[in-house]
Amino acid sequence: MEQLVPEKGKISPFLVFFLLHTMQVGIGVLGFQRIIAKYAGYDAWISVLVTGLSIHIILWMMYKIGETTNGDMLSAHTFVFGKKLGKILTFPFIFYFTLVAVTILRTFIEVIQVWMFPDLNTFWYSLAYCILAIYIIFGGFRTVAGIAFFGVILPLYLNFIFLFTLPYTDFKNLLPIFDHSVKDLLMSGYKMSLTYLGYEILLFLYPYIKDPQRSKKWAHLGILYTTFLYTLITIITFAYFSEGQLQKHVWPTLTMWKAVHMPFVERFEYIGIANWNIIILPNFCIALWCASRLLKRVVHLKQKKGILLISFACLIAINFFKTREQINKLGDYTGLIAFFLNFGYIPFLFCLVLLVKKVKKK
Amino acid sequence: MRWLFKQQKKEGKKAETEQYLKKSQDYTQVSYINQVTNKKFTISFITTLIDESILQNDALPFLLEKPLENIEDVKKIVAIADVQISNDESEIEQKLFNGYVLVTLESDNSNFAFLAAQKEIVRNITTPEIEFSVIGPKEAFVESLDQNINLLRKRLPVKELIKKEVTLGTISKTKVAILYLENIANPENVQTLMERIKNVEFDAITDSSYIVQLISDNKNSPFPQLLDTERPDRVAAVLAEGKIAIIVDGSPHALITPTTLVEFFSSFEDYFLNWILSSFFRLIRLFAVAFSILITPIYVATLSYHYELIPKDLLNTLVTSRREIPLPPILEALFLELTIELLREAGARLPTKVGQTIGIVGGIVIGTASVEAGLTSNVLLIIVALAALASFTTPVYKMGNAIRLLRFPFLLFAELWGLLGILICFSFLLTHLIRLTSLNRPFLEPLFPPRVTDMKDALIRLPFNKQSRRPQFMRTKFPFRHTSGTNNQNKDIDE
Repeated sequence: MEQLVPEKGKISPFLVFFLLHTMQVGIGVLGFQRIIAKYAGYDAWISVLVTGLSIHIILWMMYKIGETTNGDMLSAHTFVFGKKLGKILTFPFIFYFTLVAVTILRTFIEVIQVWMFPDLNTFWYSLAYCILAIYIIFGGFRTVAGIAFFGVILPLYLNFIFLFTLPYTDFKNLLPIFDHSVKDLLMSGYKMSLTYLGYEILLFLYPYIKDPQRSKKWAHLGILYTTFLYTLITIITFAYFSEGQLQKHVWPTLTMWKAVHMPFVERFEYIGIANWNIIILPNFCIALWCASRLLKRVVHLKQKKGILLISFACLIAINFFKTREQINKLGDYTGLIAFFLNFGYIPFLFCLVLLVKKVKKK
Repeated sequence: MRWLFKQQKKEGKKAETEQYLKKSQDYTQVSYINQVTNKKFTISFITTLIDESILQNDALPFLLEKPLENIEDVKKIVAIADVQISNDESEIEQKLFNGYVLVTLESDNSNFAFLAAQKEIVRNITTPEIEFSVIGPKEAFVESLDQNINLLRKRLPVKELIKKEVTLGTISKTKVAILYLENIANPENVQTLMERIKNVEFDAITDSSYIVQLISDNKNSPFPQLLDTERPDRVAAVLAEGKIAIIVDGSPHALITPTTLVEFFSSFEDYFLNWILSSFFRLIRLFAVAFSILITPIYVATLSYHYELIPKDLLNTLVTSRREIPLPPILEALFLELTIELLREAGARLPTKVGQTIGIVGGIVIGTASVEAGLTSNVLLIIVALAALASFTTPVYKMGNAIRLLRFPFLLFAELWGLLGILICFSFLLTHLIRLTSLNRPFLEPLFPPRVTDMKDALIRLPFNKQSRRPQFMRTKFPFRHTSGTNNQNKDIDE
């Protein structure tokens, strides 16, 4: 198979840790606790743990697909369906990633508008974000990986901020364990899976990894770290709020930061939200990068032009979502598509790839 | 026929050169007759470029009194080591301007001799002024290329230290020397650098900063991508790491490449101190830089948008100091920042003694007066003054300049979107740094791409025995500095 990516454009295997982890952690962390608690009550942390662990199976499948076809999603599609049909089937993914980019940015701007600047202009802020993303992506995938790396490292200190809430926690809230049915747990697991989304990018950046075999370990570690982080946040949140109180907060994580008191800083959530910029930025960039990369692969449009086109589309699309309901719906639909993509389509494709491989061998 | 034509052309060249030279009054041409053979010979030279005592003591007496039959005899009779015989007339101009004396025999028109008699006007070696250190060597580079290379050769007396020389500048004919250790430096780096230097096209190169701007990877970046230093010890140390040094004739600053961002924040004095102390000072310096860039924008952001961030007691102080101020925080901050920049610029342009006075007048009088007049708050005055002070901690002057500039875009973004704006501006800066390269090697290394081995001498500096490897990002030929520390046995107490 021909070389998809020149050697100098590739990244070290361990950067996959940061790419996957940063793509998973996004705006969802600020408010997933309420949604999962709605279904499984304070047993929901079990769903968080189990869902997180189940992702490793999907990851394993993606690596198998990547190994077999030695390329990205288009290579896999071409492998199974042939050249023409493969391209047609890959095309919707461009829209998928554009949708993901719009959802990420719009939801983040909503958080800003609710907590910090009620009259922040969506368009101008998105414009600044898009220019930043274009500047990053023009630097090549290496720069995108760099932003992902700093997007994980720089906000690390936020994890320690949760220590401030410890004096106000009561871990007896979590008891009794296992007082919800399996169905409840599954329902909350389904809701949780939306917060975990993002690891599917592996199928698209696979050709950019220098030594894919060695990156496996890091990819699994990255996802394990996300699971660990989410479980920890869930448990702390459940210990901090009572069950009824939690349902009244849309973004419990932000509310928890209010507990922070330092001699020179109050209302820590302002700093937290500003910092969230660095966490959202790689997500937005990777989504745009995937979309423009697919555009190049499918219709041979230069990536430089493709990225301008897609960010322009994002800029226009983002203005259509104004009210809380619309943004909520946008998030729900994107989540639904992503869920079926990850837990439906990828296993399906995995089976097909294995089947075709066997047939071709004969 | 053709040969004859060539000959004529050559002779034409000599005549043309002479004609030009005669226009300048410091060109001298004298004819003598040898006392033994009665041959007539002519010497020509440029008086301002040669040392006449060499001519009068080591050349002329011998030329007059020893037997001089043909041009080859010049070599035998004069007491000068560097005598060159040539028949290429195009060399004449270059040699004369390099301080050689031209000797021609009347009987032999096509061959001539050059005697080296350069007058070396060299400034005495002084202590480093910009990169001064309390401990450690006190020698600094001077303007003479040979002198500078002498300082380096004395520190690295090995045959592997290679010197390559290129002449650049169509008018200035500046000699540029490239030095590296053959057994350590990555040949790919040397190759890239040589190509870039050879491709430089400019008329007059008068300082190494010209070279920096002409061969940088990204010429539109405010960050210097080659490290300039006036310390020969620093150059010797980085040559041993596998880096390449560029020395330009007429410039007291050597250039080092490839370099990384963290190198700009390490003072060479760090290597003279114990590793704990030097690591501490490095961290202080990095903190100072971050403080210097961010503190005024944070002030503007918090006071314009997020005053809720500040606890009640602290807010009291801030509000009291700002109560009388008619200007919004951004104008207040811009006014003070620009004042500080003015003082700095004026201080740099004025002679030292006047400069100090200006500093005192500016700092104390203007500062106090503007607070009393109610133009700025005294809290901001403290902040801006501290930020200015912090920006002076960068050990490399050029990086300090870049940092001076950086806080203005941050101020604008802070005014636009508060803390969010600062973070957006920071992301732009971060992206720019990730994208920058120095001689095609990542500029932000070892932070990104993260390399643990190189971290040992980046934000902190570990002891020398722990640094057994040369910096990885250059892919040196021989990556090990020493092999000690490998036989580290675990010893128990009292064994």
